[in-house]
Amino acid sequence: MNRKQFIQLTSGLALLGTAWQGCTSRNMIRSRIVGANAAAGHLLRDGKTGTPTTFLKKQLVIAGGGVSGLSAAWYLQKQGFTDFLLLDLEAHTGGNAAHGVNDISAYPWGAHYVPIPNNDLTEYIDFLQSAGVVVQRNSEGLPAYNEEHLCFDPQERLFINGRWQEGLIPQFGVPTPERKQIERFLLQMNEYRYAKGSDGKDAFAIPINASSTDETYVRLDKMTMQQWLKENEYTSHYLHGYVNYCCRDDFGTAYDTISAWAGIHYFAARKGKGTNAEHGDVLTWPEGNGFLVNALQQSIPSYCHTSSLVTGVDATAEGVRVDVADLKTGNYYAVDARECILAVPQLVAARLLKQEERKALVKQHFHYAPWMVANITTKGPLKEREGAAVSWDNVIFDGPSLGYVEATHQLLQQQATRKNLTYYYPLTGGSPADERKKAQQRSADEWTNLIINDLERIHPSFRESIAEVNIMLWGHAMAQPLPGFITGSVRQEMARSLEGKIHFAHSDLAGVSIFEEAFYQGLNAAKRVLKQIPA
Amino acid sequence: MKKENGSQWLLLVAVFVIATCGLIYELVAGTLASYLLGDSVTQFSTIIGVYLFSMGIGSYLSRYFNDNLLQWFIRIELLVGLIGGFSAAILFLVFPLVFSFRIILYALVGLTGILVGLEIPLLMRILKDKVEFKEMVSRVFTFDYIGALLASLVFPLLLVPHLGLIRTSLFFGILNIGVGWYLAWYFVREIKQSGILKITAIFLLLAELTAFVFSENIMRYSETMTYNDNVVFAQSSPYQRIVITRNKRELRLFLNGNLQFSSADEYRYHEALVHPALSSVTAPEKVLVLGGGDGLAVREILKYPSVKKIVLVDLDKAVTRLFSSQEMLLRINQSSLLNKKVTVINADAFSWLRQNKELFDAVIIDFPDPSSFSIGKLYSTIFYRILKNSMRPEGIAVIQSTSPYVAPRSFWCVDTTLREAGFYTRPYHNYVPSFGEWGYIIASPQGEKNWFAHLPATLKYLNLSVLEPLFIFPNDMKAGIAVHANKLNNQALVNYFEAEWGKYLE
Repeated sequence: MNRKQFIQLTSGLALLGTAWQGCTSRNMIRSRIVGANAAAGHLLRDGKTGTPTTFLKKQLVIAGGGVSGLSAAWYLQKQGFTDFLLLDLEAHTGGNAAHGVNDISAYPWGAHYVPIPNNDLTEYIDFLQSAGVVVQRNSEGLPAYNEEHLCFDPQERLFINGRWQEGLIPQFGVPTPERKQIERFLLQMNEYRYAKGSDGKDAFAIPINASSTDETYVRLDKMTMQQWLKENEYTSHYLHGYVNYCCRDDFGTAYDTISAWAGIHYFAARKGKGTNAEHGDVLTWPEGNGFLVNALQQSIPSYCHTSSLVTGVDATAEGVRVDVADLKTGNYYAVDARECILAVPQLVAARLLKQEERKALVKQHFHYAPWMVANITTKGPLKEREGAAVSWDNVIFDGPSLGYVEATHQLLQQQATRKNLTYYYPLTGGSPADERKKAQQRSADEWTNLIINDLERIHPSFRESIAEVNIMLWGHAMAQPLPGFITGSVRQEMARSLEGKIHFAHSDLAGVSIFEEAFYQGLNAAKRVLKQIPA
Repeated sequence: MKKENGSQWLLLVAVFVIATCGLIYELVAGTLASYLLGDSVTQFSTIIGVYLFSMGIGSYLSRYFNDNLLQWFIRIELLVGLIGGFSAAILFLVFPLVFSFRIILYALVGLTGILVGLEIPLLMRILKDKVEFKEMVSRVFTFDYIGALLASLVFPLLLVPHLGLIRTSLFFGILNIGVGWYLAWYFVREIKQSGILKITAIFLLLAELTAFVFSENIMRYSETMTYNDNVVFAQSSPYQRIVITRNKRELRLFLNGNLQFSSADEYRYHEALVHPALSSVTAPEKVLVLGGGDGLAVREILKYPSVKKIVLVDLDKAVTRLFSSQEMLLRINQSSLLNKKVTVINADAFSWLRQNKELFDAVIIDFPDPSSFSIGKLYSTIFYRILKNSMRPEGIAVIQSTSPYVAPRSFWCVDTTLREAGFYTRPYHNYVPSFGEWGYIIASPQGEKNWFAHLPATLKYLNLSVLEPLFIFPNDMKAGIAVHANKLNNQALVNYFEAEWGKYLE
């Protein structure tokens, strides 16, 4: 007899049953909040620094071990340049592509997939090939993707009108006129996918900076996605719900706040094609993009210093001085370098540079979305509702969260009944600042209750089915492309190198937080460095 | 005087109950032994013999009970209720412990016999001062034999079909204890420590009631209802529910409710699975078996004297352990898993293949049908590509590929998948009465083979003239459409399989 059946029995004896259930089930879920290192980050915010006791000399310092910093390092060592140091305040590199692992499987803490890349991103595809994600390229140069890394079927399902349907585009119970609107919308997005501006460039490109500046498209950055839908006479509740989901998924920002240009970019920028995959397909791993991070990092482990908080960056006569706090030993040291790549969000970069004007500009123009990500360990199979089978991505229509991704889905072996579910929750209920504050105040139990209330709709007695909930709060998870940001001038201004020796690389300079942008931010900064350093 | 009279009748009712219960326990043990061990004549004979003999021992031992007879009588009554009541449940539970099963079986039968054997003499001595000897003997034995008749009638007609064995024995355990409790209550003034007896009785009663409600219900009862035959073994491993059923003619293995084999015709399946492929390899030495934890494919492989090493990789330790230790199953697989040439590895086939460096002459793949996305992975292009890395270039593999009659698209999907992974294939099929038309696909990295050149001469089913036609497919076993290869990112096979078998089972 297992516990569940025991509960069924005792609930017959109403009093005893409820009392028993009440005092056990709550206690049995282990829940806790685990850190992105907010404490260390706030050390910087509060200006606490120390006097360096040791001094190092390097040609280059890369501050920040997220995808852009790692990509810069990966590219540099590939070109034979290795006289650099990469510093990250966390114990592991990876930024928001961080991942964890337990006795069941690895699981992501943030970014967990990449779409099939556009075929003109040669260096990125090269990287994927070196990581084993692309197996080979055929005579026309089309990549063949490793089937182990293409998302296994069934990929996505949506809980809508009391039932699971396959795929995320609302269908089940959607009235015909609304379906027609959804079809028209998707057709229009497909037109945007292949549209070119008067300057001959793609209307929506990756990297974003390669996009057309044709006014036809630039004007889309002056309105929100919701306004654009209205302007184009899309009134369907289901379509609005779907588009809002997509915007929250990719930008952590609701569709009534996000720029229409960015919203459309989500649908129209992907045009990749492989021998065995197309632009709708995704590449994923149990550990999410941690897989790609590991592939980047594998080539440069000895140049990475983790648990190392950069506390200041100053231009000197010879180059750049970078002050560092070693969080493991508590010591302070300084690196004298010729150049520096700041592969950190602009709000951090401005603080490191201690430039008030820069800080003010960033504060005014750069906005970041707060997220909560939870990894949930189940005790066994979950109770299911009617309809499509458990998929990789499991979404509830119009839900407060984005649902969950099954980390165990992409395992090759027969699945154990215990699973890791990664639950994504962009905090879009209020302003980011308010939501950040509220998030900090919630206890692990409160978060757990919130998750359970959400997921009990799709999995009856979810509370009884889970063993552990680990919660991570991302205060500044990703840049928010609000109207005017992408086509405005601040991005370019902030991306400009200082005195030819301090370079910037971060996806927030692109305006959208996607792997390719971060990758090319890193590569571009690395190329600038290489151009100046004598061979 | 009225009280005296009442107590006399009450004790006689007790005799009646004891007689009924005693015989029921004996029948339960006999039936269970025939279910589990087969050969019902032997089982019933030995059980009845041991039981009656034990009653004799009990009667003999009764001479050593001199004081507090009534108290002893009630104690024994409770003890019979406890042991007899739980006997069927215990026997089902210890069945997998192969070697000790018979010992426990006869120990339980013996113990129950001794206790029941003690009761009648004790009772007669209790009654001897209350009733004239002639009357007493007449009454006691009348009730005893009526009870026996009742038991022998209700057992096959009512109890086994409606309650099942575990519930039957628990039900009579409860009756035994109930009588004991009532006696303790009724004779409260004549016995010492009646309080303790009553509390013990209530405690035991609760225990058996709980067992009655749960253990049966949860562990067996549902299965006895699901399966046509008697469930003789059931166990949940972390991966699946393993159930073995048995009737007069055959023994069947079910995994998650799906029939894996019937002992009556499994040779047709396993000969067809193994020999067409293996007989086409010259002097095979190393053979890999994936799945097939029942050891039946291994039994066939061992018919090739050139084979030096067989590696069997099966996910479920519970299955391989069962088939390497259970006597009845060892008879069927001829102890193949215990053969020195055989190495049993309990691992996930996909993970194991990926890390394996050894090359095999032949690979026999006997996975469950692709009824879930999880199992579908084991039929994917990527799985077969990895498989090829574990095969010698001139090696051969064979894959059980569901029924081409019920599920032609599924069957040909496996074929397409193998070809896409770079194999030459030869699909074939045969008739297995308990499965129907069944399909297999031979796959080899190189197409040329000396087909069936080394077929063993002494097979029960296959010979050369039967073999050739198996490779011809009638029209109703063809896919009718171009099927997709099964890949991890389309799971085409699982979708075909669900559609085809779903329709078939409607």
